[in-house]
Amino acid sequence: MSLPVLICDDSSFARKAMARSLPDGWDVDVAYAANGEEAIAQIKAGKGDIMFLDLNMPVMDGYQTMEAIRKQDLPSMVIVVSGDVQEEARSRMMSMGAIDFIRKPIDNAKLTSILSKYGIYDGEASAENRAKDVSITTGSSIDEKLNAFREVANVAMGQAGENLAKILNKFIDLPIPNVSIVHSNEMSMMLTNIDMRQSVSAVSEGFVSPTIKGEALILFNDANVAALQQLLGSNTKMSETSEIEALMDVSNIIIGACLNALSQQLSVTFTHNTPILLGIHCDLEEIVNNNISRWEKVLVIEIAYAVSSENISFELLLVIPDRDIDAAFSRLLMSQQAMEITISGEQGVDL
Amino acid sequence: MAVDKPAWQNALLNSIEVGIVVVDTNFQVEEFNQFMENHSGVQASDIIGKPIFPFFEEIDQAWFENKCQPVFSMNTPVFVIWEQRQYLFKFGSSRPITSSSDYMYQNITILPICANNGQVERICILVYDMTDQAMSKARVDKLNDELKVISRVDGLTGLYNRRYWQERFEREFKLTIRNNKPISVLMLDIDHFKAVNDTHGHQAGDKVIQSLAMLIRKATRETDICGRYGGEEFAILLPDTNTETAKIVAERIRKVSERYMVKHDSIEMHFTVSIGIAEFSPEYKRPLVWLEAADQALYKAKENGRNQVIFAE
Repeated sequence: MSLPVLICDDSSFARKAMARSLPDGWDVDVAYAANGEEAIAQIKAGKGDIMFLDLNMPVMDGYQTMEAIRKQDLPSMVIVVSGDVQEEARSRMMSMGAIDFIRKPIDNAKLTSILSKYGIYDGEASAENRAKDVSITTGSSIDEKLNAFREVANVAMGQAGENLAKILNKFIDLPIPNVSIVHSNEMSMMLTNIDMRQSVSAVSEGFVSPTIKGEALILFNDANVAALQQLLGSNTKMSETSEIEALMDVSNIIIGACLNALSQQLSVTFTHNTPILLGIHCDLEEIVNNNISRWEKVLVIEIAYAVSSENISFELLLVIPDRDIDAAFSRLLMSQQAMEITISGEQGVDL
Repeated sequence: MAVDKPAWQNALLNSIEVGIVVVDTNFQVEEFNQFMENHSGVQASDIIGKPIFPFFEEIDQAWFENKCQPVFSMNTPVFVIWEQRQYLFKFGSSRPITSSSDYMYQNITILPICANNGQVERICILVYDMTDQAMSKARVDKLNDELKVISRVDGLTGLYNRRYWQERFEREFKLTIRNNKPISVLMLDIDHFKAVNDTHGHQAGDKVIQSLAMLIRKATRETDICGRYGGEEFAILLPDTNTETAKIVAERIRKVSERYMVKHDSIEMHFTVSIGIAEFSPEYKRPLVWLEAADQALYKAKENGRNQVIFAE
């Protein structure tokens, strides 16, 4: 009998990517769930002996799902699949009974070695046939593209969060990235973490590749900059310069790690622009009005980072002009396929 | 040591107007271009193969190593901008005669350089001269500050003009709703001002207005918001001030005005003022309703015979 395997992720793109990387030789019956609630129901119906579980999901996230499995003693071996690879995320999940942790985007040689470590599957890693069976995209509707970008952002966000967590030595709360297409002058409406009544500071960094050009923006409420500055352990006094230093330190880490993850997933190499200060202690409106002069449609990926233990929150916006969205999407599909080919090509050497 | 490069690549490296320094994980210098030589006076042949820090005492070593850490560990570029730190290398300005800064403003980019194994074994430090941008930004900021003052201030009296006073009044109104502190507003008008103008001319009238503005400034605190509201009408917002204290301030202004003598040419003039006071109360739902209450009190002060202070009911 085939082994019931459940893939639980809010992103259909991520579910497909996961399904595509299951080894061909592994005899499984794959079911899907878009959140923890659905997953619990599937496990109860006997469809989740093994579950690949994402962390950041709406309705019921990975932590809550794991908690429910433990409390109700449900028969499922959980392997966490996440873009959030902070040490604390890992230890929290492992302490609740997850058997292992695998980083997005999925490397199927690693997946196979985990499966073999737990005696679940011991064969070839190749997933070429599986990849043929599950097509990454069933169409090219805008929703599907946004969905794919949300997943890319999810991975980028996790890697950046991991790096920031190391430097601040705090757990970073990661949200579900908010992806949408808006007019550039409406971007401020997407800022969930920014208090519009309070003053704001912002940094912008451009990134350029032959096909995709965009801008990364980091926005802080000023009260948060001060808190962050203390956390970064700046030993200098609270002058304006050291606030800028805190702003720049965080921007360097977050933008740098995000762009690295983006370039890895899209197989492009970005030239990074020297960041500029869009505004220090300004009205949000002032920043928007003074800096956004072009009125065009843009793809905005909004990530609302928070360090809830310190009451710090800030926003990262990755903005790509409308005209580059299709190019970015096709790069993404191409590099997904290329990645699978190289992985299945390499596994002969690895195993 | 760096591998030998073709001559034209060397020429490129040395003629570019950007400082280029390559160091290894121990901060030993591997590349040091002409821009760096010319500005620092340090010869490439002297510094290559040696640690960078002893040559540049202006670099805070702990700070710089801290900045470079993510470049090595995360394989990402790190940027240090002149707004954050004027310079990394203390170089003189590139234009010694016409530049208004003695030292160069610099943007620094620290780039990872990967070896074949994917490890970052070197970093490249790029030094961009930003002095002109920094100087022109300083000029623009200064102009903007001047413009801000000009657009906010009434030319005759030096107090805030009506537009800006109202803006501040509305902002304080919003704050007051949230923080619940006492705050009072005064409306003030010169008594029989038309007669001054009619008898002694507009210039004399202006002199009276200026004198009163000076008296108001002396009688109020720096945190009070004083504006010329109309021709001979003034508005004063007193934060953290209840009715009793506002009355003391108002009476002070009334009394000093009564005693003050304005001299214009050979004419000596006296004037008095009427003042209406309204302390903020939550029943004022909009800023203008509150101001209207002070204006009503002022009207009553005029009705009752002028030269007096009246509270809003």
